[in-house]
Amino acid sequence: MNGTHLSRRRLLGLGGALGATIALPNLLTACGGSSSASAGSGKLTFWSDITGTPNQQYFTDKVIGAFHKAHPDISVKTTFYKGSDLQQQIRTALQARTGPDIVRAPSVSQTIPFANAHLLADLTPYSKKWGWDKVVSQWAREAFTIDGKLYALPMRVDTMMVYTNKTLFDSKGWTTPQNRSDLESWAAEAAGHGITPFGSSSVDWAAAGEWLMTLFWNNFSGPDAVYQALTGQIQFTDPTFVDAVTLLKSYFDKGWIAGGPSKYFSVPSAEIGASLGKGTTATIIQGEWYMSNIGQFFGSAAGNDSDWDWFVMPPLSSDVKAGSMPVGFGGSYAVNSASKQQDDAAQFLNWFYSDKSAALQRMADVPATYDIAIDFTPSEIPSNADPRTTRLLTSVNQAISSGNYGYVTWTWWPPKTDTMVFQNLEQVLTGKTTPAEYCQQIADSFTAEFKAGAAPKLMKRA
Amino acid sequence: MTRGAPISPPRRFRSAKAVRTITGWAFLAPLLGLNLVVVFGPSVATAYYSLTDWSGIGPAHWVGLANYTRALKDPAVHQALVHNLIWFVLFLSVPMIVGMLAAHLINRVHRFRTLYRALFFIPYITASVVNAAVWKMLLSPDSGIGHLLGTDFAWLGDTRTSLYAVNVVVDWHWWGFLAVIFFAAMQGVEPQLYEAATLDGANTWRQFWHVTLPGIRPTMIFIVLMTIIWSLKAFDYIFIMTHGGPADSSQVVSTLMYDQAFSQFSAGYAAALGMSMTIVVAIVLVAYRLIQKRGWEE
Repeated sequence: MNGTHLSRRRLLGLGGALGATIALPNLLTACGGSSSASAGSGKLTFWSDITGTPNQQYFTDKVIGAFHKAHPDISVKTTFYKGSDLQQQIRTALQARTGPDIVRAPSVSQTIPFANAHLLADLTPYSKKWGWDKVVSQWAREAFTIDGKLYALPMRVDTMMVYTNKTLFDSKGWTTPQNRSDLESWAAEAAGHGITPFGSSSVDWAAAGEWLMTLFWNNFSGPDAVYQALTGQIQFTDPTFVDAVTLLKSYFDKGWIAGGPSKYFSVPSAEIGASLGKGTTATIIQGEWYMSNIGQFFGSAAGNDSDWDWFVMPPLSSDVKAGSMPVGFGGSYAVNSASKQQDDAAQFLNWFYSDKSAALQRMADVPATYDIAIDFTPSEIPSNADPRTTRLLTSVNQAISSGNYGYVTWTWWPPKTDTMVFQNLEQVLTGKTTPAEYCQQIADSFTAEFKAGAAPKLMKRA
Repeated sequence: MTRGAPISPPRRFRSAKAVRTITGWAFLAPLLGLNLVVVFGPSVATAYYSLTDWSGIGPAHWVGLANYTRALKDPAVHQALVHNLIWFVLFLSVPMIVGMLAAHLINRVHRFRTLYRALFFIPYITASVVNAAVWKMLLSPDSGIGHLLGTDFAWLGDTRTSLYAVNVVVDWHWWGFLAVIFFAAMQGVEPQLYEAATLDGANTWRQFWHVTLPGIRPTMIFIVLMTIIWSLKAFDYIFIMTHGGPADSSQVVSTLMYDQAFSQFSAGYAAALGMSMTIVVAIVLVAYRLIQKRGWEE
């Protein structure tokens, strides 16, 4: 062979080079441990599950951009993932001793195995150095403290709410239900008008069932009973828990929730939102995070003149005080123990949590996305905040400060039992198991995990 | 030289053969190296973890064959296998029949043949995520096809129909591909055979049965093999459209494995399920090889 043709020797040489090119990064990764930038380079990596272009842009400009201004020597490169994908990516990467420097970690119960596997750095020295005990609320720090060491900081304070089509409520003359009797009378009336009282869907988020169980256990059985169960004093087989499940199922069977179980399993959540905007659904049971999405279903862009509002689910039994809100965390921020830049990563966390006015401004700018667990008074909330956002922040603060709070399942239940809460609920809603059998399954799983030390450190009763 | 001893080729031929062998391996080396990292390594790890109680995080403890014995007794596995079987029967029969019929019809027309093939092929080349998301909306009882036709039946939300509803979507995405493959195979059948059959008085059906089908048998056998394997690893559409629900009514082994690994924190058990399915696939492949040896493919 001659001319422009490759000689055999040259071809083999190219093949070898190609092979080396493919193999080398793997070998380097295997030997080097972390894929992040080299030690002391000041280049941090962060994987986020913030979705939607405006939200991502806000994070890039107002969070990362602001951090770069405050710390020009440290840069943060953010990669956005779809929410449900991120946790698997994080889990796999951390175990391979690679992954981002700043970890968007899961909630409390799943942080325990991460910490036990030494995948997260101990943040206690940083907490002492920068006085995080004066910045981050005590209950939030304690939740992420395992064997005396702080492993993460809460990303967002979560609670459950009932979103309403305010215009529909006004036009029908409906007022916020104050108790179970009010709620059921109103639901029956709404259903009588052909309006679905409570919108809900598990189509796009299989774990949506635990939002409902969080509400019904906390608002029917009551936070005290939930606390006792989560501390092993009583069992989840107690009639108060079984009755809560029975009540939830009865709402489904009446078609009050989602129009029935089969629609709950098959109507996408975007359709539920649209029907709330149109007024064919009166309310949606969702977490506070939904506040950043609900606006798209209202106003001229959605083709209606309606507006939305929200209320706290009223007590469903006499064991619960009005205004009680279940609280917990929507994930956490931690530092990768394999990171060579732990100091810089901790510096980012310190900046994120310590500047109270900046943190409150973020809470005001983007509803229910940056609600970190810091102590503040209502007067400190920026005046440009949407009144519904302000009311949410003050309501949660009020619930916590007055001890009128409950426990969300995704934070305070141990991981396997938490999964069982929403997976096995499907069996109840479809009539394959009874509420009593369901609660027995929950009790058995919880007892095993509680004994194994997988239950998180619970926020105490006031 | 003794009687019966092999005759050695001249040295220059032997060295040329050695060079050819080395060259072949050199070309294969990059891909083999890559497969070693991304296939063999994880396979060995999966085999090991299937013998442990690994949660997916942290240390793994040896449990021997406990995961396998658990799988044998697990009602969820039994149910998933039954669903896999239903899935296999439907996935093998419906797209094959529709695809073959469509191929036969295209084979008989000459105008717009390319257009038909392209139209049939579109569902197959569209990403499964897109197909599944679109069908999820189309099957919504509040706004989908059924709603337009006056029924609000929740095909994906009813435990009696969820598996079949997803299967219909997968069949829809698959039959066009089979039609094009079968059409290509039919093009290889000698036209003289049809002429001879016509002269013998065979009608269209008998021509199809006695000429077309035997002519495309190798393709059919291959498609059956692939369908069996794809039935066992059915995942994407089910995961996107129903997550295996409601109440496990559309759960197959692959979605159960995913659930065990990432939701139930039982990665060791999930690995055992994976290994078990590998054995099933291996049995299928052995059966295929036997069929090949008996000449059924020719």
